[in-house]
Amino acid sequence: MIADAIKNKTKAVIPYITAGLPGMDATGEIIRSLRAAGAAAIEIGLPFSDPMADGPVLQKASHLALKNGFTLEGLMEHLGDWTTSIDIPLIVMSYINPLMRRGIGETLSRFRDRGVQGVIIPDLPSDAREIHALCRDIGIDLIRLVAPTTTLQRQEEVISQCSGFVYAVSVKGVTGVRQCLPGEVARQVQGIKAMTDLPVCIGFGISTAEQVNDMLAFADGVIVGSHLMERIMGDPNPVIAAHDTLRELIGPGIESIR
Amino acid sequence: MKTELKSFQLPDEKGYFGPYGGSFVPPQLQGVLDEITQAYMEIKDDEQFLTELHALYKHYVGRPSPIFHARSLSEKMGGAQIYLKREDLNHTGAHKINHCLGQALLAKKMGKQTLIAETGAGQHGVALATAAALVGLKCDIYMGEVDIAKEKPNVIRMKILGARVISVTRGTKTLKDAVDEAFEAYLGDPITQFYAIGSVVGPHPFPMMVRDFQSIVGREARQQFREMTGSLPDNLVACVGGGSNAMGLFTAFLDDEEVLIYGVEPSGLSLREGEHAATLTLGKPGVLHGFKSYLLQDEKGNPLKVYSVASGLDYPGVGPQHSLLKDLERVTYVTAGDSEAIDAFFDLSRFEGIIPALESAHAVAFALKLAGKLEKDKTILVNLSGRGDKDIDYVAETYGKDYGVV
Ligand SMILES: Cc1ncc(COP(=O)(O)O)c(C=O)c1O
Repeated sequence: MIADAIKNKTKAVIPYITAGLPGMDATGEIIRSLRAAGAAAIEIGLPFSDPMADGPVLQKASHLALKNGFTLEGLMEHLGDWTTSIDIPLIVMSYINPLMRRGIGETLSRFRDRGVQGVIIPDLPSDAREIHALCRDIGIDLIRLVAPTTTLQRQEEVISQCSGFVYAVSVKGVTGVRQCLPGEVARQVQGIKAMTDLPVCIGFGISTAEQVNDMLAFADGVIVGSHLMERIMGDPNPVIAAHDTLRELIGPGIESIR
Repeated sequence: MKTELKSFQLPDEKGYFGPYGGSFVPPQLQGVLDEITQAYMEIKDDEQFLTELHALYKHYVGRPSPIFHARSLSEKMGGAQIYLKREDLNHTGAHKINHCLGQALLAKKMGKQTLIAETGAGQHGVALATAAALVGLKCDIYMGEVDIAKEKPNVIRMKILGARVISVTRGTKTLKDAVDEAFEAYLGDPITQFYAIGSVVGPHPFPMMVRDFQSIVGREARQQFREMTGSLPDNLVACVGGGSNAMGLFTAFLDDEEVLIYGVEPSGLSLREGEHAATLTLGKPGVLHGFKSYLLQDEKGNPLKVYSVASGLDYPGVGPQHSLLKDLERVTYVTAGDSEAIDAFFDLSRFEGIIPALESAHAVAFALKLAGKLEKDKTILVNLSGRGDKDIDYVAETYGKDYGVV
């Protein structure tokens, strides 16, 4: 259960990595090293050519992974091994179009069959009741995003079609730019919590242990993407880089693995 | 005047044209799109707004644009009579000014500071830079490096008008990539910027809003054609890139079942993958740039490389209403290739003294083919969406030898 995995962790940090970078085997190793470093859950992003919600770092990661030959079919071959090698939830992030190629229902069922527990679709329309019902029937969490600019009415709509956790976007733009002030984020999270019992995790633009601590004062978890991928892409040993980066973010002193 | 922009029931309030359209965007963008939708719904039937817009259409754009009977060309084909709706005579040389003025006025009313947009051939960019200068807004235009090289005069025009032209070097460096970069810039600051999209594409409310602003073309044409000939045209023809000039002409005629309607997509060099941009002809439904529609995509769901000699038609997606009109079989979507378009470019120039935009030349090319198959008492109305001044250097360089230009 994704919600439990987050709530049961004193410091729930969810790393985001782009699948297939530098290669599929490396992704598997990175997943295991992130688990060892104390991740609460792991989000893997499926590369897409036109990633509308992503900043420069994740765009680059996407394009490199596609260039390296990433395919959904190739991913399907590895997913089962990845999920069985860790005891924390694996969540897939994908833009909607690649999921539609063979039918969303079929693709999500295949994820579920391979042990994936949740899915994030950043360009899902705010009214996505059909896909929400589909996910419920399939047995996979549909994690929804809420932005600082999301109106109350839309927030209610989105949160009523959400499971696993609510993903609070802490920037006004794409990943890695236009950070909101901590006070704004706190108010945003409080607003969401007034509407749901689901855990609320904050993502977009988090890059320091201090930020992680600040956010965890009011949120249930944080997601770290661009910062981690930048380190992974810039290091000759991505597996160690992933581990060390996450350790730094979670910080010393606190026991990370229960 | 009050009901002018009102009389179409689509899209629904979520922006769907049947299964197509909608708003597939990250939540950071949805808030601002809701604001634009709300602001547009408030002004679209507002007397004062419409009076202001129509005064500009008349005194600034030069509307109504005339309809011209292309007698020599019709004679040459020996069949149906070809008429041209002369959007090429508009200020800035294309239909794009119709939706740019509408969007610029709206942005101004919403208190925005900067208009941003993508452009392919540069026509939308020029029109938007023009509208921005007129209403007093800043303007940033995103344009693929390849198109910048091909459409130099328009790049210079935009700069003279005070716009910034941002060269897009990602991907294939053409229209799709310019849309990606414009969206990214927009997401970076949706508060002070207004994304004045260049066609009937993108998330709700853009396909509806751009169509509404363009629909003046068909409303004028319907009346003008009746006055000229005593009846409605038997056939309508328009080129389809994103589909704005086509929706502009078609909308007023959709309920006239006796009028046959053709949308012309570019088949480029061939209908082989990567050599065309015939989205409705060969695409499959998908989601790109915030809306669901037919899309040229590979089996993984990534958009395919597209190509056309006409930069403004070079897009792997198409407006969602066109997808619905295809499924409903209300509009027939056909193709014309590079060489047919170039032939038509010279035919129209040499038989009628009108140099068309390469985009519009695709519509002319199909109209010529169609005319040849029809009786002399039949009529074809072509939307001549733009003039070819922007294309002359490129055409002379690439095809000039074959046509005795160089
Ligand atoms: C003259 C002209 N016609 C047509 C188009 C294609 O756009 P649409 O299909 O939206 O009319 C363009 C685009 O740049 C253009 O400049």
